[in-house]
Amino acid sequence: MEILKVDNVSKRYTNHTALDDVSLSVPQGTIYGLLGPNGAGKTTLIRIINHITAPDTGSVEFMGHPLTANDVVNIGYLPEERGLYKKMRVGDQALFFAKLKGLKTREATAELRKWFDRFGISDWWNRKVEELSKGMAQKVQFIVTVLHKPKLLIFDEPFSGFDPINADLLKNEILRLRDEGATVIFSTHNMESVESLCDNITLINRSRNILSGNVNEIRSAMGRGRYRLAFEGNPDELLSALGERVMDHSFEKEVNSPVTEAKLLLRPDVSMRETIALANDAVELVSFDRALPSMNEIFIHTVKNNEQ
Amino acid sequence: MNNNLGIIIRREFMERVGKKSFIFTTLLMPVLMLVMMSLPALIAIFSTPSDKTIAVCDLSGTVMPVLEKSGQEHLTFVPVSAPADSAIHHSEYYGVLSIPADIVDRPSSAILFIHEGGSVETESTIRNLIKDAVRDRRMQAYDIDNLQQILDETNVDVSLQTIRVDEEGGEEATSSSLSFGIGLFMTFILYMFLLMYGQLVMTSIIEEKNNRVLELVVSSVKPVHLMLGKIFGVGLVAVVQIIIWGVLLCLMSAFLLPALIPDGVGEQVAMLNAGSIPTGADTLDPELLSAISLFSSVGYIAKLFGFILIFLIGGFLFYASIFAAIGSAVDNIQDASQLTSFAVIPIVIGLVIGMTAGSDPNSTLAFWTSIIPFTSPMVMLMRVPFGIPSWEIWLAVGILYLSFLAMVWLAAKIYRIGIFMYGKKPSVRDLIRWARYK
Repeated sequence: MEILKVDNVSKRYTNHTALDDVSLSVPQGTIYGLLGPNGAGKTTLIRIINHITAPDTGSVEFMGHPLTANDVVNIGYLPEERGLYKKMRVGDQALFFAKLKGLKTREATAELRKWFDRFGISDWWNRKVEELSKGMAQKVQFIVTVLHKPKLLIFDEPFSGFDPINADLLKNEILRLRDEGATVIFSTHNMESVESLCDNITLINRSRNILSGNVNEIRSAMGRGRYRLAFEGNPDELLSALGERVMDHSFEKEVNSPVTEAKLLLRPDVSMRETIALANDAVELVSFDRALPSMNEIFIHTVKNNEQ
Repeated sequence: MNNNLGIIIRREFMERVGKKSFIFTTLLMPVLMLVMMSLPALIAIFSTPSDKTIAVCDLSGTVMPVLEKSGQEHLTFVPVSAPADSAIHHSEYYGVLSIPADIVDRPSSAILFIHEGGSVETESTIRNLIKDAVRDRRMQAYDIDNLQQILDETNVDVSLQTIRVDEEGGEEATSSSLSFGIGLFMTFILYMFLLMYGQLVMTSIIEEKNNRVLELVVSSVKPVHLMLGKIFGVGLVAVVQIIIWGVLLCLMSAFLLPALIPDGVGEQVAMLNAGSIPTGADTLDPELLSAISLFSSVGYIAKLFGFILIFLIGGFLFYASIFAAIGSAVDNIQDASQLTSFAVIPIVIGLVIGMTAGSDPNSTLAFWTSIIPFTSPMVMLMRVPFGIPSWEIWLAVGILYLSFLAMVWLAAKIYRIGIFMYGKKPSVRDLIRWARYK
C-alpha cells in the first residue's frame, strides 16, 4: 500500500520551473531515496509534501486521501539546513515543537525523557541550544523530528555534520523506525547510504523525474551484461575466445601479482554459463562476478545522459 | 490548527517576558523618564555659579545703593573711586562696572569691563539692577505720594481658568498646557513603542530566517499563523509593559500622591473641581491645582492608559505587519534598512504632526492625520486630552483596526513567499510581485 502518492505535480516560480510534472509513489514501511543534483527541485517537492507550499498543478495523496494541513502531525521533517531557537533551553524547545505536532505536555515530556536517555543526553535538558556543539544540536533536532511518532519521516541529508559513530547510531535509529512501521523519505547526495538503506528511489534532474524504481532492480537493469573478472593469462587470448560477445572492455594488471582484472560489457543475449566456459578455456580464472553499478555511477550516468 | 497559534504566541511572549532585561527595563524606564524630565532642574541645582566680586565706579551715585541693597548671593559689589580703566588691572575683581554721571538720562551708557569670558547670567543680573535703579529714580522725579504702595497694589498676576463644556453639558476644569503635556507624553510613549516593538518583530523574523529554524516551524504551522503568533506575542509584551506602568501610576496616584499633598491643597482642588476658583492667601496657581486634581484622579489616569492601550494595540498590529513583511523578505538587518524606512518614516511623521497638533488640536491637519491609520495613533493620542468629540476617536479606532486587517492580509502574502527567499536583496517591486502570487 502507498502511504504517499505524488501525481503530475508542477510548481513554477517567476524565473524558473522548480518541478515539472513529477509523479512518484512511496510504499508504506519502506525507505525511499529522493536523489538529484543541487537545485533539481528536491526541496520544493519536500516542501509540497510537508504542506508548506502548494503545487500549481497535480495532486498529493497521503494515506489514501488528498493531503491537508491536518496531515502534518503525521509527518516528521528534518530539514537540510538545521536550526533551532538558540536562546531557548533544549527541553523547552523540544516540548514546543512536540506541542506544535499536537502532543500534550505530559506525553511529550515522557516521550522526550525516553529519547534523551536513549541518546545519552538527559543532562542537556536545561542547557541553551547556543551552548551545544553542532553535532549535539543535530541530535536534539533528530529527536524533535521523530518524537510525535510520525507515519512519514522526511530526512534531508540526515548524516551531514555527524561523526561516523553518531552517523551509525542515527542509521540504526532510522532502520528501527522503519521496522516499527514508519515510512522514510530520504534525500541525500551520499550514494553509499542510498545503497545500504533505500528500498526505492526517485532521481530528479532539472525539475523532472528521470528515474524511479526499486534500488536492486535499477542496479540489475543498469548492470545487465556487465561483468568483473580476475584471471591469470593473456588478455588478448581472452578477448579472442569471447569474440563478438564483448561490446566493451577494460583491463588492469595488478601490481606485484600475475592477476589481471577485467571489466567486460557483454551482449545482452549472451549466457553467463557459456561465457564462463569460454573464458575458462582461454585463461586461468580467479573470479567471475556480475558487476552491479554503484548508485554513484547510476546517478552520474543517468544525469549526464539526461543533460545531453 | 488555531491551537498552534496559541503555542506560538506563548513561546514569543515567554521568551521576552521571562528575560531579566524585560523586568529591568519595565521597572527602570519610568525612573529613567522621571530623571530625564527633572534633569534641567537638577542641573540648575547642582551647577551653582561661582562667587564674583565686581568693582563699581559709580559717578552718578544712583546705581550703587541699589546694587548694595540687592543682596545678590554670588555677586559682591565694591565701590571704587579710581577711574574704571585703572581698576581693571586689579585681578581680584571679576570685572569693573563703569556708571557715567548721566546714567538716568542715558541708561545704556553703563560699561562692564571683564578679564575673562563673560557670563550671561551675571550680565543680565547687572542689567536688571541698573534698570531698577534708573526706573526708581525717574519715578521719584514725578514726586507722587505713596508711590511704593500704589506700585504694589497695581502689580497683578493673572492666570486663566479654562472650563471645557462637553456634549452632555458637563463642565470640566482644564488647562491647555496641561493637556498638551499629557498628550505629548502619550504620543511619545506610543512612538517609542511602535518603533521599538515593531523593529523587534522584524529582527526576530530575520533571525529565525537566518538560523533556519523557520523551515522547521513551518513544517508544523501555517506561515501566516507563525507570523500572527509573532506579532501577537510581541504585542502582548508591549501591552503588559504598558499595563504595568499604568498600574504603577494608578497606585502612586491613589496612595503616594495624597500623602505628599500638603493640608489645605486638597480643599482647593475640590473647590476647583466644583467649578469655583479658590481665593485666599494660600491659594496655589490654578494650573498647578488642576494638575494635582488630574493626577490624583485614578479614574482619569486609568482612562488615559486605556486610550494608550487601544491605540498601541491598533497601531502596533498595523505597523508590526509592515515590519513582519519586511523582515520576511530580507536575509540580514543591513538589507532591511532601506525597506524599513517605509515603516519608520510614517511613524516619525506621526510624532511630528502629533506635536504640532498639540497647539491646535482642532485644525484640519490634526483631524485628518488622526483619522488616517499611518499617523492616527500618534496624532489622536495628542488630541485626546483636549476633549475632542468621542465619535472622532472611535472613527479613528475603527479605521485603524480595519486597516490592520488589510495590512496583515497583505503582509501574510509577502511573508509566505519571503521566508523562503535567500540571497538577493529584494526591492519593493519584488514584494509587490510576491503579494500577487496565488
